[in-house]
Amino acid sequence: MTNHRAVLFLGVAVIAGLGAVDAASAQDKVIKIGGLFPMSGPGAYFGAQDKQGIELALEQINKAGVNGYKFEIHYEDSGCSPLPATQAAKRLIEQYKPHVIIGEECSDATLAAMPLMEQAKVPFLNAGSSSIKVTDPGNPWTFRIMPNEVMQGVDIATNAYKRLNARTAVLLYENTNAGIGNAKVFNDTFTAAGGKILADIGFGRDVNDFTAIATRIGGVGKVDVIPTYTLEGQGLRITQALAQAGVTKGGGGQAIQLGTIWLPFGFEQKAGKAALGYVRIVQFDPLDKREVVSNFVQSFKAKFNQDPTHINAHAFDQILVIADTVQRGATDAQSIRDRMAETKNFSGVTGSVEFDKHNQNTKMDTIHYMETQPDLSWKPLGWN
Amino acid sequence: MLTVALQQGINGLVFGSLYVLVALGLTLIYGVLVQINFAHADVVTIGAFAAYFFTFAFGGNYLVSIAVALVIGGALGWLINAAIFAPLRERGSELLPLIATIGVSILLQNAMLIWFGPIPYPFDSPYSNEVIRLWGGTFITWQNLIIIVVSTLTIALLYAFMKFTFMGKALRAVAQDRETAALMGINPSQLIMLTFVIASALAGMGGAMLGPILVLTPFAGTTVIVKAFAIVIIGGFGNVEGTIIAGLLVGLIESYTTQLVNPGLIDIVVFSLLLLMLAFRPTGLIAEKREENV
Repeated sequence: MTNHRAVLFLGVAVIAGLGAVDAASAQDKVIKIGGLFPMSGPGAYFGAQDKQGIELALEQINKAGVNGYKFEIHYEDSGCSPLPATQAAKRLIEQYKPHVIIGEECSDATLAAMPLMEQAKVPFLNAGSSSIKVTDPGNPWTFRIMPNEVMQGVDIATNAYKRLNARTAVLLYENTNAGIGNAKVFNDTFTAAGGKILADIGFGRDVNDFTAIATRIGGVGKVDVIPTYTLEGQGLRITQALAQAGVTKGGGGQAIQLGTIWLPFGFEQKAGKAALGYVRIVQFDPLDKREVVSNFVQSFKAKFNQDPTHINAHAFDQILVIADTVQRGATDAQSIRDRMAETKNFSGVTGSVEFDKHNQNTKMDTIHYMETQPDLSWKPLGWN
Repeated sequence: MLTVALQQGINGLVFGSLYVLVALGLTLIYGVLVQINFAHADVVTIGAFAAYFFTFAFGGNYLVSIAVALVIGGALGWLINAAIFAPLRERGSELLPLIATIGVSILLQNAMLIWFGPIPYPFDSPYSNEVIRLWGGTFITWQNLIIIVVSTLTIALLYAFMKFTFMGKALRAVAQDRETAALMGINPSQLIMLTFVIASALAGMGGAMLGPILVLTPFAGTTVIVKAFAIVIIGGFGNVEGTIIAGLLVGLIESYTTQLVNPGLIDIVVFSLLLLMLAFRPTGLIAEKREENV
């Protein structure tokens, strides 16, 4: 039953709200959430989709409140980059004075903001940054509900070697903490298994033309897999350039692109037939039979008239995880942090949550492998 | 290896052509006004969005959309100069218009963020993924061929306009000496306006052709403009010929740096070249007297 806590959560919240707290006091008691998300720049698509998931979660939870508490959020644009992230975090902490902060998506921004949260003793719940440094060493005030780069990287490299029989790879990644870290984990795991890295190609976020990179990859010999770590925009152009150069399956070649949780749903439709055969991890499976997932998909479609993405889903889960701590008695920043650290068997729409001593979610059921089909739909590979 | 070298040459020329289009606008404005226009990047972005919406929202032909973006870019240049830059220049300050270009840039970026949203647009022209196989295993997409042809024609027309037409000569006269040109019956204000219109039209056109290549967001142009500034400096401030050569050179440097070293080092290579130019040849690739530029 404990695995279905999130499913039952709203029902419990309604009972708690009606029975234990009168309406007037409920209005007075508010959990203030700071939203630290990129609203501008190349990662702005994260912020736009995070806001949708948060909006839906708050709408549902605030109908009845939790233990007499309502939830409100104030956003600051952290720009997926260290400097704007620290400035935004300072504004949140000093002006809004939140009980808890959620965000960022980009590891560089998250890492830059983390010390400020620790100093202010405000818990910081992250769902989208994969760098290992976020939780190792991390700090006592930062939590992460997504698998980190090591969890993802080891898993995807092992699957590439064992299930795809890949023996050669080219690493493609943006020059950020997350990009470099993910590529390194893949490199280490893949080469330890016996694979060979033919080229290791990092690039800045200002690179526009990937034809030259695709040309280089086309000239390095037989490539089996191309693990790619970029934001959506550059990812689209890379996939298309690799197909145009005849390197990947989408362009008649034989290499398979591998992707992680970074890319949103709908990537394949934007990339077109170039995305054929792309194997990637998504953090949320809309076909998941659990009730919490079907309810989320249904209510999201009803509210926004579109299908939810994993970014919508993990933002939704962030709010549910906070509400869960309040359900278990949290009332302020310190108690939210303490209850969050004690989280066990939480079941959200992206999967389960249970934190280790570094505040890293240990559950791997948030990883789902998909392969892009000729009609650009996904085929679940069922590897986890 | 020869195939790869040739292919990287083609790749470099394609992007170099686009850099030239964008940088020419900057260098024209600098040549005439001795002013850096930070809003130029946003006109590039608006050109890209104009082409996108003309093609996808209105079902228009992509090739026509390039002309549409050119017209919209030119109109925007006229509007910005008439409404903001010209009145500020009349106050006699050189600093105010420069600061204003930064303000206009921020204004346009945020307006686009509101209008178009932050999520990247999947702008593929009908020619983006159609590949022409060339000799020895090299290839070029139709989109890239269009870029090279349209850019070459545009640059040639601009060059002819500047060298052989009365308006072009008048524009160069204003660049050489505004006061003397005015004494000769040339209206400098009109010529400055013409410069803004031409520069912005080039930026809009460049945006329409960049759209299917770069990541189309309200901030798309800013990723190109930094290189364009470097090209203007390498080519020699306000020097059209130098800008053309520098643009193609930077495109080729990017391709071969990607092939031989690492794309992560592109900026280091390009900006090292810029520093070297400033240190040893501050007049740019083609050394001319400042008054002979444009």
